Amino acid sequence: MRSEPVPPSRFGLGQSVRRVEDQRFLTGHGRFVDDFQFAGQVHAQVLRSPHAHAEIRGIDVTAATELSGVVAVLTGDELAADGIAVIPPGATAQNRDGSDMFVPPRPALAQGRVRHVGEPVAVVVAESIEIARDATELIEVDYETLPAVTDTGSAMDPGAPQLYEGAPRNQCLDWEKGDRAATEAAFAAAAHVSSLELVNSRVVVNPVEPRACIGLWDADGGSFTLYNSGQAAHNVARTLATAVFQLPMERLRVISPDVGGGFGTKNFIYPEQVLVLWAARRLGRPVRWTAQRTEGFLSDTQGRDHVMRAELALDGDGRFLALRIVTTANIGAYVSTFGAMIPTNPVAVVLGGTYDIPAVHYHVREVLTNTVPVDAYRGAGRPEAAYAIERLVDLAAAELGLDPVALRRRNFIRPKAMPYKTAMGSVLDCGEFARVLDRALGQADAAGFAARRAESERRGRLRGLGVASYFEATLGPPNERSAVRFEEDGTVTILVGTMSNGQGHETTYAQILHQRLGLPFEAIRFVQGDTGAIPSGFGHGGSRSMQIGGNALLLAADLIEEKAKRIAAHHFEAQEADIELASGACRVVGTDLAVDLMDLAKIARDPSRLPEGMAPGLDAAGDYAREATTFPNGAHIAEVEIEPETGVVHLRAYHVVDDFGTVLNPMITMGQVHGGVAQGIGQALMEHTVYEGETGQLLSGSFMDYCVPRADDMPTLEVAFEAVPTKTNALGVKGCGEAGCIGALPAVINAVVDALKPLGIRHIDMPATPERVWRAIRAATSGD
Amino acid sequence: MRNEIRFLLGHEMRSLRSVDPTMTVLDYLRQDERLVGTKEGCNEGDCGACTVVLARLVDGGLRYEAVNACIQFVGTLDGCQLLTVEHLVGEDGSLHPVQQAMVDCHGSQCGFCTPGFVMSLFALTRHSETVPDDGVIDDVFAGNLCRCTGYAPIVRAAGQAYELKPRQDHIAAREAETIAALGRLADTETVAVGDGERRFFAPATADALAELFEANPEATIVAGSTDVGLWVTKEMRRLDTVIYLGRIAELARIEEGADGIEIGAGINYTEAMATLARHYPDMGEVIRRLGSVQIRNAGTIGGNVANGSPIGDSPPLLIAAGAMLHLRRGDARRSMPIEDFFLDYGKQDRAPGEFVEKIVVPYPAGGTRFRAYKIAKRFDQDISAVLAAFQLWLDGDEIKEARVAFGGMAATPKRAPAVEARLAGSPWNEDTVQAAMAALEQDFTPITDWRASADYRLRVSQNLLMRCYVETTDATQDTRLVGDRSLAHV
Repeated sequence: MRSEPVPPSRFGLGQSVRRVEDQRFLTGHGRFVDDFQFAGQVHAQVLRSPHAHAEIRGIDVTAATELSGVVAVLTGDELAADGIAVIPPGATAQNRDGSDMFVPPRPALAQGRVRHVGEPVAVVVAESIEIARDATELIEVDYETLPAVTDTGSAMDPGAPQLYEGAPRNQCLDWEKGDRAATEAAFAAAAHVSSLELVNSRVVVNPVEPRACIGLWDADGGSFTLYNSGQAAHNVARTLATAVFQLPMERLRVISPDVGGGFGTKNFIYPEQVLVLWAARRLGRPVRWTAQRTEGFLSDTQGRDHVMRAELALDGDGRFLALRIVTTANIGAYVSTFGAMIPTNPVAVVLGGTYDIPAVHYHVREVLTNTVPVDAYRGAGRPEAAYAIERLVDLAAAELGLDPVALRRRNFIRPKAMPYKTAMGSVLDCGEFARVLDRALGQADAAGFAARRAESERRGRLRGLGVASYFEATLGPPNERSAVRFEEDGTVTILVGTMSNGQGHETTYAQILHQRLGLPFEAIRFVQGDTGAIPSGFGHGGSRSMQIGGNALLLAADLIEEKAKRIAAHHFEAQEADIELASGACRVVGTDLAVDLMDLAKIARDPSRLPEGMAPGLDAAGDYAREATTFPNGAHIAEVEIEPETGVVHLRAYHVVDDFGTVLNPMITMGQVHGGVAQGIGQALMEHTVYEGETGQLLSGSFMDYCVPRADDMPTLEVAFEAVPTKTNALGVKGCGEAGCIGALPAVINAVVDALKPLGIRHIDMPATPERVWRAIRAATSGD
Repeated sequence: MRNEIRFLLGHEMRSLRSVDPTMTVLDYLRQDERLVGTKEGCNEGDCGACTVVLARLVDGGLRYEAVNACIQFVGTLDGCQLLTVEHLVGEDGSLHPVQQAMVDCHGSQCGFCTPGFVMSLFALTRHSETVPDDGVIDDVFAGNLCRCTGYAPIVRAAGQAYELKPRQDHIAAREAETIAALGRLADTETVAVGDGERRFFAPATADALAELFEANPEATIVAGSTDVGLWVTKEMRRLDTVIYLGRIAELARIEEGADGIEIGAGINYTEAMATLARHYPDMGEVIRRLGSVQIRNAGTIGGNVANGSPIGDSPPLLIAAGAMLHLRRGDARRSMPIEDFFLDYGKQDRAPGEFVEKIVVPYPAGGTRFRAYKIAKRFDQDISAVLAAFQLWLDGDEIKEARVAFGGMAATPKRAPAVEARLAGSPWNEDTVQAAMAALEQDFTPITDWRASADYRLRVSQNLLMRCYVETTDATQDTRLVGDRSLAHV
């Protein structure tokens, strides 16, 4: 930052400023989509397929239509007749041979065939939600069921049921990155190869706020408004307008008010958004839809679901020579918005991790199955990579009889090697991986682990210490515009294209502006998530908001400072060079002449008080384009105790040291780590998405059967920051939203495997439920 | 008859005459009152985003209970004060100490589950004068899901809230006024409201209930609605006549009588737990685990029995304890050993118009051992795969008599006669246990479902008998591995 920073303020950067948004969240005044009401509104209920795979022979809606209070019953036939186009993916990829991947059409209502349990088949719109629900039960659908395939590993088997003619063996993409020949040569010459088959298990995301949307149609203006519980207002508006409804984008406004958690799954284009808009236009009335929890399980995009073969080649000194990963990624029945993209580059970009590995090759095949579509979930590709790498390193250490920490240290990319270009082409500008790991080991009292293990053994328990050195790259669209508007009531509004759904942006952006210009923190307001108020934006994802939106705000502040100084110079009849900005005021250096920015904003509205030719207003917008990817990294250390009789894993301690670069608000950042780790622990130990093989039914389809972590499942987390600020952006931030989730998967499983290692167990797949652990122990000890 | 329900919404009086008998408190708040701070996250009492607090007049004071608004019917508010997150804010707009603590500890991220946590925490501060240990706090939050924070900040907020004197708030300041207002609402009239042909009754006496149910035998009796609520919200069942037990003081009692512990049909788990746990610590543990605080504050043992579910957790406990079930229809009363009530799947020995009045649990005699085990996929808030309960009358090493009951092993909660026969008269040793474990296969042919396989159910049931043996003969063995032992017998 160029100008003199304001003196340390309790609202400045680096301070744990209490969150501005909490006032409304704590008092029940947060406003989420379902909290909005509209005159004349009607309620939509979606009839969903009970079958994983079936032909629709016919749909009889007569009885449903006749039910009193029903306004409309719509099926795929009406959708097609009205010319509503299919929902396109937001990103696709090319096959290895250069051809385009296979993308099946995805209409908002099934046409002819259903391909997963929960797929929308019809929508009922009625005067009340109860009537709409009753009416869906009156719709008769004649299904001819077909064999279903849900399992990732066997989806490409020759005999597996086929979802699409255009996707032989259910494969829709065959993608690779890296130098295959160099990698194979390195493997051929290796002194040792460690090899592991592993599953990165499927997760049901389950934000506590169910997805919800309300469609409004303005017949006079011929335009839509969509209230959407989402993470990316502009992307949703753009796709729905231009691709689905074939309208100019400005005729479809998307408003995302407070959003109750997203973690990726609320980023995307969903059939229900199309349905409420389409129905609103047909009926001329506001149409609202809120998912029941069960519908969330059956229709919110799910996460992960990779089956991987991961191999690491080492030389005789334990140095890493090459990494090779072959993945089958299950993307579900349709290609969701970023569903096809996530298993490609977002995995590849971090392959190699914090290690100096000369050759890396990644090969992924994506399969379509009779399951809910899979898309980005916290970390999106990077947890899959980090998990594979960090499991492999532990395995290699075990196979070679080396200390896993020493093996990591031996292979870390050294600080003096920066900037370092990885085998996958990522350029790291900074990172001190050994320093971060050492601090974590100290924090976790790793030196005392042997004594703790001995003590556990005396009680008949198995104790394990799991270390993970995670490596992340922040992703998401590289551009953002942040604007600042001085209001006539004396407040200042920040307008951003990013989208907080729990990350406290209202507070952190205000801290940035307050710190940079000295504007009073209390006077700062915040607007996000409204395409009608904000001209462009790319929403939330890839831990990008502060890096892109925050730096854009700094650019806006630069423009404000520049203009303010010119106006102040004019005002005081002084030289511009003699004006300084400090503590929110422009003053003439060496005098007591000063005018604060709020007053300058008033002056700036009056053209007669401005220098010749200057446009009125102090408002400004900063456009930032990412100059370089940032690489958050850190070390997670999990310590577990396992009861061999039951297989129950107790997390006894959990330590994190993160390098997020500059930390803007430690309290909020710590909260991001906590939440991410909790989700990682959930996936590693308890969250189990189970599809019944033959029927394709989601067996774990409620909170009763799908185990989301509760308060007593969480260990005490100790989190510290070891900042190595990046110079690739002015804020020095690297991103923090996904990191907790990325480090936790390998740390927890490495700890579990470390505890089980004395029994000869070399790996256990997630989730390491008591049953799985017990079975592994039993198999290892009884020889069956 | 009184044709309106009356309650305090915060400190404002509400009288409702036209009431959908199965409208939930959540829908009432969000749709009719437009108090949308209370959220719907699952609509089945799992996630706690809808947690509200009811204050009831008990012995001249107020008892505060956190409940899930999503499965409570609005008619059940009669005579209560309903407090939501909106009511905690001070009259000057200041945050309540529990709200302030959540801000200070960063206990809220997306804000959606937040009101539910705030209300659970508020209720805690009314129950505990000082900050309880983390285990109790975990229990208080077992019925609240959060996907953002990882919970630790919220647990810290619970401690922080106590620093801010949460019991000296504006709600406490107006407590005398609230008590007086609720006192004025208390009457012995039967409440009868409805929305036309569908009706909601809330009698105030057992006699009125008996008369009403005899006259309307098609009615659904509701106490805590932790199950019936889901019939409405998940199965979309239409209930035309609902009779609510919650106003009947005679049924909302647990008393240590001459013949045993008398559990009124309307008393909730929370209120019953301490007395039962004093005599049967293992009953306390099962009640602690069968549902969250919100569920325990609503659900009743009477309802759990009357409902007759094969996986209800109370019946096996009561069967093993030798409880007697007391039924009433009109003025006619009868009683039976509780196991005789469960005839077949979904079928109980209950005549139309007949209701459960009370359950009498004999005190454990000297020399008895009582053990109960809940096997579920997780510690808190889960339906049992198997629930086992054992009572043994020992004379030295010899078993004089055994009562063994299981849930989840048959179409009804059921005794295990072959096991009991094998145990009775035998020495309490490992050989006997092994033989009894084998005998269990004569008693049960369990089914396979998503909760557990038939094999697993049988095997775990056998092993629980062994666990009972180990626990009752070797105090050094650590047999309760899951969960925090300090919470096992609360």
